[in-house]
Amino acid sequence: MNFLKLKEWFSQRYDLSDIKKMATGKLVPVHRFDFLYYTGGITLFLFILQFIVGIILAFYYVPHPEHAYKSIIDIVTKLNMGWFFRSFHHWGAQLLMVFAFLHLFGTLLAKAYRKPREFVWFTGFILLGISIFFGLSGYLLLWDERAMAAVKIATGGSGAFPFIGGFLKAFLRGGIDVTGDTLIRFYAFHVAILPLLTVMIIGLHVLLVQYHGMSVPLSEEKKGYGQVPFFPNIFYKDLALWLVVLGTTATLAVFLPPEIGIKADPLAPTPENIKPEWFFLFLFQTLKMFPGEILGLNGETVAIVLITLAILFFFLLPLFDRKTSRGEKSPLFTWIGIGYFAYFIVMTLVGFWS
Amino acid sequence: MKLRYSLVSRRTFLNSLFGGWLIAFFSGSLYALFKFAFPTLGKEPDFVILKAEDFLHIDPNSTKPFAWGGKLGIFFKKADGTIMAVKGVCSHMDCNVLYKPLEKKFYCACHKGWFDEDGKNIAGPPPRPLEIFVHSIEGDKLIVAKKGVKVELPKA
Amino acid sequence: MKRIMETLTIFVILLTTQLTGAAEKIEVFTTVRYDQYIIYESLALFWVGIAGLLIIIRMKLKEIERVQKLRLDATEENVPSLE
Repeated sequence: MNFLKLKEWFSQRYDLSDIKKMATGKLVPVHRFDFLYYTGGITLFLFILQFIVGIILAFYYVPHPEHAYKSIIDIVTKLNMGWFFRSFHHWGAQLLMVFAFLHLFGTLLAKAYRKPREFVWFTGFILLGISIFFGLSGYLLLWDERAMAAVKIATGGSGAFPFIGGFLKAFLRGGIDVTGDTLIRFYAFHVAILPLLTVMIIGLHVLLVQYHGMSVPLSEEKKGYGQVPFFPNIFYKDLALWLVVLGTTATLAVFLPPEIGIKADPLAPTPENIKPEWFFLFLFQTLKMFPGEILGLNGETVAIVLITLAILFFFLLPLFDRKTSRGEKSPLFTWIGIGYFAYFIVMTLVGFWS
Repeated sequence: MKLRYSLVSRRTFLNSLFGGWLIAFFSGSLYALFKFAFPTLGKEPDFVILKAEDFLHIDPNSTKPFAWGGKLGIFFKKADGTIMAVKGVCSHMDCNVLYKPLEKKFYCACHKGWFDEDGKNIAGPPPRPLEIFVHSIEGDKLIVAKKGVKVELPKA
Repeated sequence: MKRIMETLTIFVILLTTQLTGAAEKIEVFTTVRYDQYIIYESLALFWVGIAGLLIIIRMKLKEIERVQKLRLDATEENVPSLE
């Protein structure tokens, strides 16, 4: 294998020296909080793993309500290492959500969303929404009792939106109730629509990060900081972390394979104590806190409206946080950030233990 | 004998070690992935279901082939009327065997191996007898199964 | 007599399970001891592989940092060439 000759052949046709210079010139700041930089890369790595494992699982999964459940049982019991890849896909998804939230709150508290990086925050936020929908749609595909109940609750919540609620619920469910049509629709989302959107938006997100460079927290900017080249120093550290994440996911997959419950029956009553996936718990708990009726208005609608406003505010945070955009300390928004983080953690735990 | 200068540079050593280990690691992982992605290569069924009427009424001392996954299965009615089902694959080098009614033996053309009426290897290179299947009749169906397999019929 | 009672009890139990449609738990992990050991062994081997890679990466990083400290990797900008 004469690599030199191949390089010659290629460079006679394409001049990549500019791209190479950009890549080798990429510098990463070194400071007290630079460990936060790794969270995005790990989330990306988990996405890639999920794509690969998801593709081979798609060879065997049958997205029809009559056969879906059985196809998963076949994957788990009959195929070589099928149980492992399904379990790996489950745990990959769980870890992805954990790191996505770590990445979210890391960038929030480090105020990396400030000018000029507002669009990195916006695209990232959209990616979070996509990940959550990935999780929900994937969960239903098992078509067991628990999955169906969880999706009934999650899509039912969407119906509480004022004006658009009914339309949104019908769009997600493919009808009035969660039925076989919902399964097929969620499958289309999970394997076609969402992956395409994800690839495009991750591409944009990562491109913007390259354009702007890594953000440094205001306190560290003032102190001054050194820089280190991405290639090869940080690249190898990234690789090492990604390998550990791979090993951890595989270990979780082997020791804690997810259950398969009873086959879903749209006509059966909802089982007791149904809870949605853990990353929905904070929303679920919040909804539970609201009484049935407030000042003559439907309690659930009020709850949904307030939650939507809170999320919208969160989404548009870079535009509201003027002080930080100017490079000044903003204790108010630091506390707002901590507030969102604490609320998420507390409500998730409460939902988990109740 | 101690060398004055190293045979390879530090860079070459590290890069070869890294590359070699990476290749070994990922080829192992990818092998597992591919085994899952290409499952039916070499896999045989646990049992097959055939139409009884197609097979039970063949002449004595004759055979009728059936599909056993991708391989040859032979339904055999002996001269005295007893029926048997065997895998028609020679135990030597996996060639398909042929029943010769005149000699009342199974013959493998590849290396001139011979099996008797009960599938036992009697002449030539085959080291083991032909694999014998367990057969049963349920209604209008003939079920041929691997020995030791619990047959579960789908609830049709 | 004892035999008859035993077989009758087993028969009744089996009958009830069939009639009430008691579902078996679906095994998501093999129950075969031999296969379980192979899986745990493979996982251990997998981690050995990862550990090896981590060690080699650390070796490479140390070497890179050594070279960078000595500035052996800096390229001179204005090298006169024969063009």
